Parts: sequence; structure tokens; C-alpha cells
Amino acid sequence: MTDQHGPTTTTQPLIRVEGASKSFPGVRALDNVDLTIHAGEIHALTGENGSGKSTLSKIIGGLYTPDSGRIYVDGELVSIPNPAVALEHGIVTISQELTLATSLTVAENIYLGRLPRTRLGIIDWPRLKADARRILDRLGVHVSPTTRVSSLSIELQQEIEIARALSTDARLLILDEATSSLSETATDRLLTVVEELAASGVAVLMISHRMPELYRSATRATVLRDGALVGDVPLPETTEEQLVRMMVGRDLQDYFGSRDVEPGEVVLEVQDLETLDGSLKPTSFKLRKGQILGVAGLVGSGKTELGLALGGVLPSRGDVIVNGYTAYVGSPREALAHGIGFVPEDRKGQCILPGRSVAENFALSWMQQLSRLGVMQLGVERRRVESSMERYGVVAASSGVAISTLSGGNQQKVVLGRVFARGCEVYVLTEPTRGVDVGAKSAIYRLLQDLASQGAAIIIISSEIPELLGMADEIVVYHQGEIRGRFGSDDFDEEAVASVAVAGRVHAKAS
Amino acid sequence: MTTYEIGNPDSIQLDQPRESRQAPGERSKALAGLRPVLGKHAGLMLAFALVVVYFWMTQPIFMTWANISNLVASNSVVLVLAVGATFVVISGGLDLSTVSATTLAGMCLGFVLADGHSFVVALIAVLLAGVALGLANGILIAWVRMSFLVVTLGTMTIYSSLAQVSNEGATISVFSAPGFAPLMTFVTGRLGPIPYIMIFDVVLALIAGAVLRYTSYGRSLFAVGSNQEAARINGINVTRVMLCTYVLAGLAAGIAALVQVGRLSGASATTDPSLLMAVLAAVLLGGTAFTGGEGGIFGTVLGVLFLGVITNGLTISQVSAFWTGTVNGGVLLLAVLISTGRDRGWFTRKPRTVITGDQVLAPDAPEAPEQQRA
Repeated sequence: MTDQHGPTTTTQPLIRVEGASKSFPGVRALDNVDLTIHAGEIHALTGENGSGKSTLSKIIGGLYTPDSGRIYVDGELVSIPNPAVALEHGIVTISQELTLATSLTVAENIYLGRLPRTRLGIIDWPRLKADARRILDRLGVHVSPTTRVSSLSIELQQEIEIARALSTDARLLILDEATSSLSETATDRLLTVVEELAASGVAVLMISHRMPELYRSATRATVLRDGALVGDVPLPETTEEQLVRMMVGRDLQDYFGSRDVEPGEVVLEVQDLETLDGSLKPTSFKLRKGQILGVAGLVGSGKTELGLALGGVLPSRGDVIVNGYTAYVGSPREALAHGIGFVPEDRKGQCILPGRSVAENFALSWMQQLSRLGVMQLGVERRRVESSMERYGVVAASSGVAISTLSGGNQQKVVLGRVFARGCEVYVLTEPTRGVDVGAKSAIYRLLQDLASQGAAIIIISSEIPELLGMADEIVVYHQGEIRGRFGSDDFDEEAVASVAVAGRVHAKAS
Repeated sequence: MTTYEIGNPDSIQLDQPRESRQAPGERSKALAGLRPVLGKHAGLMLAFALVVVYFWMTQPIFMTWANISNLVASNSVVLVLAVGATFVVISGGLDLSTVSATTLAGMCLGFVLADGHSFVVALIAVLLAGVALGLANGILIAWVRMSFLVVTLGTMTIYSSLAQVSNEGATISVFSAPGFAPLMTFVTGRLGPIPYIMIFDVVLALIAGAVLRYTSYGRSLFAVGSNQEAARINGINVTRVMLCTYVLAGLAAGIAALVQVGRLSGASATTDPSLLMAVLAAVLLGGTAFTGGEGGIFGTVLGVLFLGVITNGLTISQVSAFWTGTVNGGVLLLAVLISTGRDRGWFTRKPRTVITGDQVLAPDAPEAPEQQRA
């Protein structure tokens, strides 16, 4: 934290957004939000998932066009209809989603679309390599410019993405959760570079909910909640607790709900379960009735693969014992038949039938229950769908509309509701609240609490540690395919969980 | 919206949490009746009506019962194959071999009939032949997991080549075969004024529509076509659904062979290449999406009729048959263009809320718009 980052109040703000609003079918993602960023300022944009942070940054980056609102660059009213125009204004976004051409080399990716050429119009490879090397050195990334991107780890790929952004003459750098897949050291290097850039006059919009990063670099924070502006406060004068209260807007206890249940007998016993591709190494644990087990870990840590193996999606070996009977989970069909209700991570890719109706989406996993001699009992189906929509709080014009017209939160309620309504012994839910707004999130937490109170055993696999801390009785942390940490509800500690997830062990607590 | 004073973070007050921002839509009864079906096909039906009215006005012979009966009978092969193809296309696949399979199954029928077997034996033989040819596709696509394009392109050439090989390219005449009489009655007979074949077409379409709508297989088919991974994860046996679908397409080829051989009084060893285009064009025209997971029999029937009416109308208008392909192709492109346009909202006049530029250039904008960058 240094003082020279502070905005010089006399100058024109580099970018000013006034009254930006944006709606998606069923959701008001952004509601009349203002944002001002000065040159040389590191400005944090925070809020819960679904609060509108990414929507706002995508409007500035030209990926979304707002329904209303004005954007000024250097005091001039502009329109940013696409990313190319954003780039002309010097607005560069680094997002958590990688946009690399993985079959090309590192250097080609860094200078994609603007490769240096010789006078003959041929690509100037020596210069390309030298330029790329310089950028990589600056970031402290030790990768050869001629390596193919596909052979790099996700973390290194993210750093290449950052290198590409740095190689442009950015005036406003938007970091959209850019550190989410970086280790501590890589994050540290990135933040150092960002601070240098800011000192040289570049404005930075930093989207993150990692508090230590915000407090290390940012001088101001704009907080959004449910798509609306909550406030624009200075950092570090605003305490972390105040900032969190602004973001969440309610007591955490209310937010996650609560349950009153003594864990009963063991429902699920997993013994030496491992995937055949080696992404999950032999893992063992037990789960009792009414218990919620939280599973944490980074991308590629094996936490997602645990869910896929239990759901019968990924070939595995080892024992999965449900209520004392060994379950063969060779296919999702068998897993379901043994009472394992699995919800995968990727809602659009693995869960919903996009063009089909809400009713068909609900009934997708009830097919065997609903058919008599191969004929669907449409009356029974309709009653079940209607009662499920009511029970799981799905808001839609009717059960006949296509599910793709619903908001993410309502889609997710359908996805979870169909498994809940099917009735399973064990629920294995991957990222149950990903891409869902705060209201729907809280509603989903309540559903899970109710379910556990009624004696269901639940595994929540999530990359959001606060969610696990708020919901689970026990948390296991995966790192490199193995459980490296177990936390009972008495010794829940966000930093310790995060540290095991990143480094595989608990760091000695630094002040 | 509250903005907090700079340097005074204690002024923070928390809003009441908002539970949900979704507009509470009215929850009407699930699954309305025919209205969505008609709505979806409104464009095609309108075009169909226009074409019918045009030929009716210009060619008096067009609206005679004789011509209508002929039109239906001559499009029955396309209809049967298009019904089968609709299933395949809904599953997200494509069966290029369907017409070749019809030819090959037809040769089987021809041999069995020419051998002097009864109609029942011939019927069983041709349906089994169709099922077997479909099963070969299904095994390679559903079990071996080869690409449906590769598999059906391969079997398309194999089937039509085998049809040629079987009788050295010659047609098998079955007119005088003892088992042919019932088949002859089926394709030319009438119940009162209504040809049997027309009744058969209607029944076939109704059965196929009911299978899609009321059976768990039909529902699984839409699920597999819409999102195969989601279907699998939710316990649907994707392999079995796909296998069934190609077997059904094979069965359709068997039935089509029956109609074909009946109408020609013989089994021709050559495959008509324009037939495949007609089948696929009818399915596409009917609104069954080639991306899978969408479509239905009603649209396909409408598509077959539409193409059939155009061909028939052009013929009785004495337009050279060489033009038929051009007209059919043009109609297909136009239909798809219109539906693409509808998806992208070309025809709906709505306020252009998505363009910020409009707001930027609005007269009430305080800053001078001419300072804007290009």
C-alpha cells in the first residue's frame, strides 16, 4: 500500500460510468450504477458473486452493451459496442476465463493479432521472441516464448494471458478475478507489476473478493450488491468487516440458514476411491445422515473428479458403500439407482437441456419413475413438476417455457430440485451456487439445510470457501488429487483451508 | 442506491436484503395444447396455403381428388423416410444412408417375392432387412461411438453398391409374383374414395408423433439431442436411445422399400440421389433443428406436403422437371433464411435497447456528441 497511487483530484477522471443498467432475461444484473476511476488509481470492485461486478466490467470492456447509462473516457461521452473499441480507448481486460489459442506458442499468443512483421510483411520471429521474453521476464515467468501454450499448466496459462494484457499500451487495466487460479507467489508478482503500472499512470480496476489483495493494492473500493451500488469507500480506511457487511448486506448466519440435527448413522462410506486416469488418488471418508461435508480445493486438485467418480461419470475403482451395500458406480445410471444424486459443475454443459421446457428439465432424472411400460404418465409428471416448482421456488411464466429463458438462479433451482425431488440417500453437489445471484444463493442454502435436517447426507464441492464454512459440518481439502487437510466445525479457518488448497499444507500463521 | 461519504465508512447502513429480482410471472397451466405447435409452423403453413391457392387458381386440375390422391401416393416414400429421419435429427445425428437402405431392402423384397414366397414372408423379410441395416449404423454410432456422418456416409455407399451387386444392376420385376397382389392392393387400393396409402401415411404420422410425445423413449430422444451429457448424467441410457433411433430409421427404410417396390411393381437397383435431398429438406423445412433436441412429426409432414405440392404443381403447370431442383432448393434456403431471421429478431420491431450509441446520441446528452470518436 503506497500513497502515490492516490488520485489527483484536480484532473479529469480517466473513466466515468453513469447510471449503468443491464438486464438479462429474468434478472436485473446491474441497476443504475456509477463508477469513477482516475489515472494511476487502483480501484477495487467488490461484491458477492452475482452482484454485478463482472457485468459492469464487461460493459466497460465492450463485451456487453448496457440497457442504459453513459460512459465517459477523459470526460468525453463514448460508446463501447465491442472489445475492439475498448482496446482503442486503451481498456484491456484480463479475465478468469482463458482466451488463449492453445495450439500456438507463448510468444504468438502474447502478440496475437499484432505480430511484428519485417519490411517484407513476413513475421519477424526474432523480434517476436525477444519482445515476448522481455514481457515474461518482467512478470517473472520462466517459460520459453516458443513453448506451446497447451503444454502449460492453467496457472502459467493465466500468466500468459496477463503478459498479453501488459504488452498492450493499456490505460485502464481490468483484472476480472485474474488471480483466482494463481498461487500466492504468482499473485504477489502480478500485484507488484500492477502497482508499478499504476505508479506510471495506468488506472486499474481490480475485481476480486480476496481481501488481502484488495487491502494490499487498492486505494478505493466500489461495492455492489444485487446489481446495485452500495458504496464507494476509501481503502484501507474502511475495515474488512465493514466491507464484508456492505457486500453481503445481511448477517452471515441468516444468509446460510441453520439446521438443528445430530448426524445419524453412516450413509456413505468411500474406501480408496480413485479415478482410472489418476486425477483422483485413493481417497476415503465417511458421511452420516444429516451431515454436510464440504470439499475444497483448486481447479485440478481432484475435488471435481471426486464428484464425477461418485456420480459414475468418470471411470473409477475402489469401494463406494451406500447404507451398507456396495454401490457399483460404473455409470451415472447405476449411481442414481444406488441413491447417489450427483449434480455436476457445468450447468450449461452438463445439467440442462437448453431448448427444452422447465417441465422436461425437471423430469429428466425422473424418467424411470414416471414411465409405465415405456409410456410417460403426463398427468403425474405435471403435478410433480408444479409442486417442485413451488417447493424449490422456481420462478417462471409457466412450466412450459424453455429453461434457457430463466435466470441462472432459477435454472440452478431446477437442476438441484430434480435431484432432490427424485429422493436420494446421498447428494453430491458440485458448485451448487455458481453463477447465481445472492437471493437465489441464500434460497439454495436454505434448501440444503432443510434437506440435511430431514436426514439427507450431502457433499458440497465448492471453490467458494466461505460457503463451505457457512454450511458444512466438516471440510476436506484436496490438493494434487489427495485429501491434504480435514477440518471439523470447531477449527474452521478460512485462511488455513485456502492455504492447504493452494500449497497442500497449512502455512505457519504470518501475523 | 446509497453513496457513502468519503472517509466516513461508519455511515454504512445496510439495506434490507432483496429476496429475488425476478419478475413474478403468472404460473399458467403446464403444456398448452396445439397452439405452440401451430405458432411455430405459422410461416410454413402460410407459405403452403399460398402455394396451394396459386396452383388452384392457375391449374384447375390441381384441386381434383385424383391429383391429390396421386400427390399423396407419390410422396409416401419421402414421408416414411422423413419420419424416420426426424427421429435421427432430433437425436442430434443424421442418417445419409436411409435412401440407399431403402434400395437395398427393396432388393431383398424383390428377391423374396420373385422367389415365389407369400406376402407375409416378404413383409417380414423387408422389415427385418431395414432393421438390420439400421442396426449396423446404430452399432457403429452408438456403441463404437464413430461419427454419424462418417458411418452413414460409408453405409450409404455400401448399401447402394450392394443393391447394384445383388442383381447386377438390373431391376427385379415382381408384377407377376404370387405375393405381390396384397402389396398391389395396399399401394393402389381405396377405402371408398380414400386410398389405403393415405390412411397408412396418416396412421404412421400419428404413431410417430405419439411416440415422440408420450413415451419415455421419445422424451429421452429429445434429451439426448438437446444435451447428451446432461441426459447421461441424469440416468438416461444414451447408447440404447441412439441405437433405437437408428434402428427406427432402418425400419422406416424397410417400410419405404415396401411402398417403393409396390408402386414400381419392381425392385430397382439404382438409388435416386434426389430422394435423400427431398427427405432431409422436408425435415429441415418442418422446423426440426439439425443441432438436435428440437422438432416434431407435424412439421415434417407439412414439409413433405409443401415440397410435394410444389413438385406436383410445377409438373401439371408443364414446367420442365429440370427446374424442380432449383425451386425446391430455393424454397428450402428461403425457409431457413426466414427462420434464422426470426431467431435473430429481424422481423420484430422492438426498441433498440441494446445499443448504447443511441443513448449517447440522444439529444438530451449534455456533452457535445460531435466530440465522439468514430
